[in-house]
Amino acid sequence: MTDVTWTTTALTLVVLLAQVVVMVALAPLVAGLTRQTRARIEGRAGPGVLQPWRDVRKLLAKRPIRAAGTSWVTVAGPVVLLVSSLLLAALVPLVAAVSLPLVPDDLFVVVSVLLLGTVALALLGLDSGSAFGGMGSSRHMTIAALVEPTVLVAVYALSIPVGSSTLSLIVTERRDDPASIASPAGVLAVVALVVVVLAETGRLPVDNPATHLELTMVHEAMVLETSGRDLAWVEVGSWLRLAVLLGLVGNLVLPWGVATELSVPAVLLGVVAIGAKVAVAAALLGAAEVGLAKLRLFRVPELLAGSFVLAFLAVTASYLVA
Amino acid sequence: MHLSEAAFSQLVALSTGTLLVTSVLFVWRRSLRAAVRLLAVQGGALALLVAAIALAEREGELLVTALIVLAVKAVAIPLVLARGLRADGAALRDEPRMNPTTGLLAVAGLTTVAYLVSRPIIDATRGVAALLAGGDAEAGPAAFAVPVGLTMVLVGFLLLVTRRRALSQMVGFLLLDNGIATVAFLTAAGVPFIVELGVSLDVLLVALILAVLSGRLAELFGAADIGRLTGLRD
Amino acid sequence: MTPVVAGLAAEGALAVVALLAALLPGRRRNLLAGTACAALAAAGAVTGALALAGGTGVVRIPTALPLPPLTLAPDALGGLFILVAGAVGVLASVYAIGYAHGASASRTQWAALAVFLLGLQAVPAAADLVSFLLAWELMAAASAVLVLADQARNPQARRAATWYTVMTHVSFLLVLAGFAVLAGTTGGTAFDVLATADPTSAAAGVAFALLALGFAAKAGVIPLHVWLPLAHPEAPSHASALMSGAMVKMGGYGLLLVTLRLLPGGPTWWAVALVALGAASALFGILQASVATDVKRLLAYSTTENVGLIVLALGVALLLRGHHAPGAASAALVACLLLVVSHAAFKATLFLGAGSILHGTGERNLDRLGGLVREMPWTAAAFGVACLGAAALPVTAGFVAEWTLLQALIHAVRPSDALVAVAVPVALAVIALTAGLALVTFVKAYGIAFLARPRSVGALAAHESPASMRAALLLGAGAVVALGLAPGPVAEVLAGAADVGGVEAVGLAGLSLTGVDAVLDPVALLALAALVAIPAVGLVITLGRRLPARREALGWGCGAARTSPRMQYTATSYAEPLMRIFDDALQPTRDVEVTHVAESRYMAERVRYLQRVEDVIEVRLYRPLVAAADAVADRARRVQNGSIHRYLAFSFAALVVVLLVVAT
Repeated sequence: MTDVTWTTTALTLVVLLAQVVVMVALAPLVAGLTRQTRARIEGRAGPGVLQPWRDVRKLLAKRPIRAAGTSWVTVAGPVVLLVSSLLLAALVPLVAAVSLPLVPDDLFVVVSVLLLGTVALALLGLDSGSAFGGMGSSRHMTIAALVEPTVLVAVYALSIPVGSSTLSLIVTERRDDPASIASPAGVLAVVALVVVVLAETGRLPVDNPATHLELTMVHEAMVLETSGRDLAWVEVGSWLRLAVLLGLVGNLVLPWGVATELSVPAVLLGVVAIGAKVAVAAALLGAAEVGLAKLRLFRVPELLAGSFVLAFLAVTASYLVA
Repeated sequence: MHLSEAAFSQLVALSTGTLLVTSVLFVWRRSLRAAVRLLAVQGGALALLVAAIALAEREGELLVTALIVLAVKAVAIPLVLARGLRADGAALRDEPRMNPTTGLLAVAGLTTVAYLVSRPIIDATRGVAALLAGGDAEAGPAAFAVPVGLTMVLVGFLLLVTRRRALSQMVGFLLLDNGIATVAFLTAAGVPFIVELGVSLDVLLVALILAVLSGRLAELFGAADIGRLTGLRD
Repeated sequence: MTPVVAGLAAEGALAVVALLAALLPGRRRNLLAGTACAALAAAGAVTGALALAGGTGVVRIPTALPLPPLTLAPDALGGLFILVAGAVGVLASVYAIGYAHGASASRTQWAALAVFLLGLQAVPAAADLVSFLLAWELMAAASAVLVLADQARNPQARRAATWYTVMTHVSFLLVLAGFAVLAGTTGGTAFDVLATADPTSAAAGVAFALLALGFAAKAGVIPLHVWLPLAHPEAPSHASALMSGAMVKMGGYGLLLVTLRLLPGGPTWWAVALVALGAASALFGILQASVATDVKRLLAYSTTENVGLIVLALGVALLLRGHHAPGAASAALVACLLLVVSHAAFKATLFLGAGSILHGTGERNLDRLGGLVREMPWTAAAFGVACLGAAALPVTAGFVAEWTLLQALIHAVRPSDALVAVAVPVALAVIALTAGLALVTFVKAYGIAFLARPRSVGALAAHESPASMRAALLLGAGAVVALGLAPGPVAEVLAGAADVGGVEAVGLAGLSLTGVDAVLDPVALLALAALVAIPAVGLVITLGRRLPARREALGWGCGAARTSPRMQYTATSYAEPLMRIFDDALQPTRDVEVTHVAESRYMAERVRYLQRVEDVIEVRLYRPLVAAADAVADRARRVQNGSIHRYLAFSFAALVVVLLVVAT
């Protein structure tokens, strides 16, 4: 490699790491903003946007308790989830649509990193040895399995106009050709992806993040035996995952403002843009959740089949235009 | 007023896209009220499609047709059905014979079938257009509309086969009719508006009769489950 | 004498040594015979590697029959399969030293293992159909003996062996008939002669159908898979590993041989048939695996899934090749071979791990396992890595293979014809659902068996396996990771074996699909992960030092009782949502039995719940067939009345008929 490409690679790496830092800073705010919006619409004062930060600080100071009979998975699981979310934040084009030459932000790789976190959480739930942990884990994995076809077919639909599954290419292509955003194929694929994001991050109508009723919870059931800093890692990891996926949807819908060159102003603009997009997405999510009820677990496949059909129609529609 | 090529194709894409998605939603949702609302949306999308063609080809007559479509399909029929729904009084949900997940996958399959069989039709219209234009022509709006219309016809049939309530049958029939209209407007370069007027009124009449009938059925049997009609033979 | 010839000769010699060692008396038999078998397998692996690297060599063995001599001349593709069979053979043989005991350590069993290894390696080396069929039969017969290991004590083993023998002979007959058709049209028995057949002719179509069905039966593709979930659980675990890791691949080799070497450029329906068969197998297999509770049955169904993916990839490659998407076609072919190699690595390790569980706890039923990670850390580590591979997660072999297949699919150029336009998205959706269900299946297998608390006395008393078994397990797990970390060079070699381009090694050992413009470098991905993980993990550790230490307490039991291990989710309950969602496809039978208290029928004293999932294909397709065969056999019994005279009369009549036929 020549010096020029080395410098580009190093710069890209710096930008990606900056992106990770930005997203880690944003993630608790996203969770806070969602809850706050919801509270305000429901006529409550709400705990404020900064509450998740305070929660993390509180959890870190507490003594973690682990259930008797658990293994190293209970300690390692939360950290694996956190690391997978961090890697996700580095891979997905959020602040900047640039990618390293050897680690392109290939969507299939992104999905598999996401699944790594999913699996870590599911094993954590199983390791607790209680009925709830297993229940949450089983439901979580079932949903993850049924989401998979939608994800890959939607990815396929998005990749057809670009001829590549690299996310940064897809985002820049959509920015350069705004007509493709409003095309039926593009809209259908993004709608399908939104359903997937809701399912993967445990939001309504698939899972109720605010529930503590044992029989309905999915995510909360898995982390029932987790406490103290272990719980803090799980929470930060989950928030980060939500923030990254919302940011990705934001960039697919409004691909403007993403930095495509490695200059300081462009990156700063990218930071501001992603902050705004994620904030809007979080507020919309909070507002939408006011009007949604949790689906019965056995109605979830219908929702996912519906989103699959949308993704499939997106593929068919993009062939039709061809 | 003249519509640019790009705006025209955007409008066609938007309306056909809406038609397609609403057809999927018919299978997805069980609530009859939602089905009636979807019918209104679909009628609007169909009217938009006709209006777009009218503007692109600068035909005043077609614009009138668009208004008729809007009045009948987006307003009158949904109103009639909503009244029927109130008269029916029984549960507002239909229990389909096929579970929605299977139904949705069937829709994916039917779309594929529609897409496959409409290829030759698209090629044929392209050929005719090329012949008329004396060169090669774009596939044009027919490329969008034929498979979408065909999908709507097939999904309409699916609803007719799998739904139990008389009102859902009506919805299936209307979906089928919308599908035929979609194909007709775009392939045969429009339908004479007198014909469209007649067809629309016919459909409205059918809707009225069925709405009344389903109300009577509900009075007699408690619910308009047409599965029970088998008890009427002999 | 070329190195390949020397390798083949060494294999023959070592097979004799292994057979002799198998005859030794007493306790030394395990060590010596195991070592000899491992040496035999290693010789095969080396020979395969040589052939794969471009070495050639021909061994001719004259026979007493009026036929051309038996010819062994492995090409690069054959070399790859010899290498795979040899590598799995080494693992299985080393493992068997510690594992074989009782009936599975008998003279017959060790001898059968040696013959099985020899047969496995001779199949891909064969260069004419007679030696191919001989090796095929050697492999089939020896493996049937291995399945029968436990027959004296276990009637299930006998039933499994019957199914296996029947299915494997159906497969043999189909392959024989297919080759006979080809030989009839070309007038020769050597593969080079058979390759002169016109692939578009009707005879070639018939031959393809027969051969594809025959090889599919061996590979365990539905609806010919029924023997897999019966035979794998009953065979000793090292034999299961060999059968699943290496033998079913010979079915795949057969398909590759037919479609690439003997009849290249066949009509489109061949490709479509393979895609359909593969997709159906993948979905059916993983669905059954996801609800299975016997760990070896689960692995057997997962084999059906993986073989389905292999066949699907081959079908896609042929389809795209016929429709002018050369880049995507060669990527699909490389994906097919990557799937073969990765499946051999992780499935062999998984079966060996299942053997360790059986050895350490005496249990095979996941519902009765749990908490093994504490007593069996080595097995847990190896099994865990292999599970990651089977679930296609990074950075393992399975992930690389599936990534390549997905890249091939999404780059199948904008299709000009409707067939590809339909096949590609459907195949993609099937692969995606398969991958999702595989994730559930292997999280279940690992989580239920190794995590949480023991669900039975056997699991409570678990103990780690002896050194030879641990060594084999770790070798297997190492292979899964190594193949996942260095896909570039591996894929280059595989592309060479399939004689396609479009693959390049980039970076440290990354894989670049130049034909479809996609890059995957697991080492670089790992480096990026390390870059973000090191600060995070550093923070975790420093905080862990400064903040209060962990305390252990009882788990949450709803505020009342202590929790008992029986309250945990089991494998059955874990799969319950899937069972309900896919109820129509799985058709389980459920039985709820409520015993009421004598005083009041509103109070239940005991509730018994029984759920059983049977193979729908076995129930719907094979049971009627077997019943019909039984009925015919019953009727045929009438001609058999015990009279010697009548039997002689039959022979007499047959003789007369034959003479008449010959005369005319």
